[in-house]
Amino acid sequence: MSFEDEVDAIEADTILGGEPFFSRAGGKIFIIWLVFTVIGVLIGFYAPHHLLPTLLSPEGGDVWATIVFFTVLAAPVAAFVYALAFYSLIAWRHKGNQDEPPPDAAPQRGNGPMTVLWLGVSTLLVVVLLFWGITVWSAQQISHPNTLQVNVTGQQWIWSYSYPGTGVSTHTLDLPLNRPVQFNVTSEDVTHGFWPAALGVQVDANPGVVTVIRSTPNKLGNFTVQCSQLCGLYHAFMNTKAAVVTPQQFASWLQSQGATPSAANTEAGTTPTAGTTTAMASS
Amino acid sequence: MTTAVAPPLLEDTELGPKAGGFYRHQNIFTGLGFGIGLGFIGWLVSHALLQGSNWGSDMVVTCTMFAWVIGFNIGMGTFNAPIRWMLGHDQTHEDELYAAGVGQGASRYLKFCTDHKVVGTQYLVLVMVLFGVGGTLAMMIRTQLITPHSSFLDPQTYNSIVTIHGMVMIIATIIMVSGPFANFIMPIMIGAKDMAFPRLNAMSFWVVVSAVPCLLATFFLGGVNAGWTTYAPLSVQAPPAMDTFALTIITFVVSVTVAGINTIVTVVTMRAKGMTMGRLPIFTWGTVVGSALGLYAMPAFLLVMTMMITDRATGTSFFVPQIGGSQWLYENIFWIMGHPEVYVILLPGVAAVLEITSTFARKPMFAYKVAIAGFVAIGVLAIMVWAHHMFTTGWAPNLAAPFMLTTELISIPTGIIFLCVIGTLWKGSIWTRLPMYFVYLFLWNFIIGGVTGIYLSDVPADQYFHGDMFVTAHFHYTLLGGAMIGATAAVCYWFPKMTGRMLNERIGKVAFWVIAAGIQITYFGQFWEGFQGMARRVAYYDPKFLDANVMSTVGAYILMSGWILFLYMMLHAWRNGAKAPANPWHAKTLEWKVPTPVPLENFLVDPVVTSDPYTYGEGVPDGQEVPDFAPSEEPELVPAGSTGPGDPGESGEVR
Amino acid sequence: MSITTTDHDEHAHDDGHDGHGHGPAVEGAENPGGQHETAYKRDQKERLLIWLLIGGDLLFLVLEVFTWFYLRTLNVNGMWNGALCTKANPCTDGLGNPITAPITRADPKYAIIIGVLAVVAAGFVWVAEVNAKNGKGKRSVAGAAGIALAFMLAAVAFQIYQFQVLPFTTIDGAYASTYEFFMGSTLAHLILLAFLGMGLWIRAGKGRYEGKTWYRVRIIRFFAVWIAISTVVLVTVGAIFY
Repeated sequence: MSFEDEVDAIEADTILGGEPFFSRAGGKIFIIWLVFTVIGVLIGFYAPHHLLPTLLSPEGGDVWATIVFFTVLAAPVAAFVYALAFYSLIAWRHKGNQDEPPPDAAPQRGNGPMTVLWLGVSTLLVVVLLFWGITVWSAQQISHPNTLQVNVTGQQWIWSYSYPGTGVSTHTLDLPLNRPVQFNVTSEDVTHGFWPAALGVQVDANPGVVTVIRSTPNKLGNFTVQCSQLCGLYHAFMNTKAAVVTPQQFASWLQSQGATPSAANTEAGTTPTAGTTTAMASS
Repeated sequence: MTTAVAPPLLEDTELGPKAGGFYRHQNIFTGLGFGIGLGFIGWLVSHALLQGSNWGSDMVVTCTMFAWVIGFNIGMGTFNAPIRWMLGHDQTHEDELYAAGVGQGASRYLKFCTDHKVVGTQYLVLVMVLFGVGGTLAMMIRTQLITPHSSFLDPQTYNSIVTIHGMVMIIATIIMVSGPFANFIMPIMIGAKDMAFPRLNAMSFWVVVSAVPCLLATFFLGGVNAGWTTYAPLSVQAPPAMDTFALTIITFVVSVTVAGINTIVTVVTMRAKGMTMGRLPIFTWGTVVGSALGLYAMPAFLLVMTMMITDRATGTSFFVPQIGGSQWLYENIFWIMGHPEVYVILLPGVAAVLEITSTFARKPMFAYKVAIAGFVAIGVLAIMVWAHHMFTTGWAPNLAAPFMLTTELISIPTGIIFLCVIGTLWKGSIWTRLPMYFVYLFLWNFIIGGVTGIYLSDVPADQYFHGDMFVTAHFHYTLLGGAMIGATAAVCYWFPKMTGRMLNERIGKVAFWVIAAGIQITYFGQFWEGFQGMARRVAYYDPKFLDANVMSTVGAYILMSGWILFLYMMLHAWRNGAKAPANPWHAKTLEWKVPTPVPLENFLVDPVVTSDPYTYGEGVPDGQEVPDFAPSEEPELVPAGSTGPGDPGESGEVR
Repeated sequence: MSITTTDHDEHAHDDGHDGHGHGPAVEGAENPGGQHETAYKRDQKERLLIWLLIGGDLLFLVLEVFTWFYLRTLNVNGMWNGALCTKANPCTDGLGNPITAPITRADPKYAIIIGVLAVVAAGFVWVAEVNAKNGKGKRSVAGAAGIALAFMLAAVAFQIYQFQVLPFTTIDGAYASTYEFFMGSTLAHLILLAFLGMGLWIRAGKGRYEGKTWYRVRIIRFFAVWIAISTVVLVTVGAIFY
């Protein structure tokens, strides 16, 4: 055999050499991988876009972005496993008599480089995901000036909202556009979950402590506040209406609820940092 | 090899008329009788003494159900051996043979029987019953949710069903692999004659049995409406059903702790000669790590449920903030248990999948030592991630980042498992019999379950998803789609050894496709609900979630049909299936080298192991053989199996 | 009736061990299912059992102590109600009214009594073990075991008695709750120990620990020492961190 023929013969035996790409093993695996990756990425864009409710704050936007980003990262990885699994059925499935086992395959007890590569890629992915998560989370902990304080109180089975300093207390939540809000959340009885899903934030309402969550609504719209922690008989009914309205609408609504005049500008002052708990909520 | 005569099987031994002592008269019926009797006495006495006091009904319920548990176990004979020990009146050899079931035929399955094979079979039946109960409750939930405001169930009943469905499934999934298979198969697999503590083994089974009526009694005592996680303070104010719920868990914890210790001691001390830890089948490794995690987790469960009972029945202030307690105390201790517990559920199933893959790809397990390292890493990390269940509780927001770190780190060793499965399949000789079908389904489902867990581990995203159906879909994919499908593969794999019959694979394959489709439809429907923002554990929902719920309910009915067909296949084969040969899969682990049905004490001659069980294609004599009976000579030691890639040999087939 | 093993080894010694850790079975050793196992193997299994059990119980203890300090530090709603209540961080009656004095502290002398009793009991179990190991005869083993049992029962009795003389009940706040929980946990563990102690005494009297089976006393000693340690930890925490 000439040298070139020998090379061809050797290459034909290996995955990456020999016949046209898509009829070789590597090619077939690639196609299956590509199909699953595309499906995964499409889901990553379709699901948040069509299935999530309208998100009304940058925190909500973070949720959307995280879903897309994580799916785009995860899809090729998942697709890789699926491609290899499917390919194994295409290429190496024993097709003869199923009552007897096929002859043993060539033993391969391990592949150091492959293991290192697999570990390396998973570690890298974890680092990327962590970096993303920590960045987003830290950004949400920053407190801003001119924060509107809203005291949220959960009880079996309704939410109450009050705006300190205004004397206004309601069972529906209204928020002005583009103004940072800090929810000071507590409960009268058992643990509830304060869940304004469209704002992309959530925190439990615990009896005896005040927990804090922040958001800055930046889109007008109506949404629902649900209870996300099973709290007894009518947990399913513990939903209240909520809306993000223009600042003018908010101010006039406060007035109509009987707010004291000084309250139209609710105080900006120092606000506690995220997650501090104070002793028994007074209310 | 020789013409020596085999020794008589132990099962044929004639025992004297007094052998076994009290065991002769004790079975599940005396257990029920004593249990109900002592429970009634417990009720009478506690009612007379305590009903008028504060929290009287809680105390009465606790005392009554505790008396039931003790009475049942007295009637079963669980306490015979300890009491005889204390009195210095030890069981004789004949007593112990009787306890192992000699001379009792099929009735030994209804008794306290120390033969690990009997206990394994008893566990298999119990697990099937529990899945039947839990599955029925699931179907009630899904039926309620097919329309936004159903009149099928009232909210209290619905919440109670959600709670008990969860707890029944948790119990069932914890024992679904370690119960039947770590008991029946694992001792044979390591060349032992039984578990390290056969009486403790039987005890752990009957203790679980005594716990089940405690759990079902909740429906008659007002129902527990707090979810299987029974967060305080809601659970502290629940009806007396919560006391029997807590007692169920306390009882169950005893069983799991004892069973876990038994498994670990067996594997550490009772391996056959030559069976080093490096030659241990991967299934055994998985059950050991799972058991170790269980041992870590169960004391926390015991503590938190005991404190729950004292909060309810004696007014202590552990969990109620108004009187000095903290609901976060409950949540922390609960999840210190709750997260390792899901790995107790998962690891044995994964280990079974790895074992099965090697056999049906006719290839050694890929990266065996790396897989073990992966299991151990999962075990260690599992202890450090618990607060990811508490990201939105408002507890310690500064700890969100560290727990996000540890949680995301767990995906690395979990990914290693996939490497090992795929690596074993790579260029294998894949024999697609029924167990292998479920292995592939496991791969499919567990990827989805694992990936969706990553969304939940991200704290900002979890603020959207916590407490909504996305979480439910995620853990059903991992626990049902992953661990339970792994257990199903294990059932298909070891059924011939445990029952002596072959499953009808035609029916099995139909059931497989129905189950596979059912899982996807049901839980993709729930992912859909979750994206839309539907809360979990709700009896009614906003009509905008209707389509997703219909999809999920339809999927559930499909899934149910698949399981019913699978059950039918099992029962039919158990009675009328084709007789199974000793080694239908031509596998290399020791359990396949003993005859079916497996004799008492498993081996007529102690096996001597010279290699690991993964010598497929390596052209060496099988290193895990049970020698022919030859009482007058030492068996010939064969050269140690190779540990690296070798020639597949001409035929490639090594039996 | 017995199963022949493949070991017929010239290295076998009289103490039941051979050069490879196996050997002929010890006479009278209990063998469920008819398997013959050596004393060495049985000891190995039972020691691992007791260590794993102690490990689980250790975790239980750690979580109990964690609970104590968690509730004490948080002093939720001012209802810890022990001595750490200060002017700055007062204890309350649950309705927001500061209380002038916390509840009466549990008498620390019980902590000392019960702790000492548990330690002495463990000590006498150790004496019994040493007697058995040195082949001192069943009288001296049973004697030491009997004294150990007496101390165990005394500890149980004192613990029950302490419930009756407590100056508070479980409804008096978090300190009271956790303190009584510690008492209940100690009581349960001491009762379990007393069961083992009773068995030890009776069996020692029947000569069960003569000869090669002395190691069985050692296993009980491990557990007795553990119970002593956990009792001392709990009573100390309860007494000091009021």
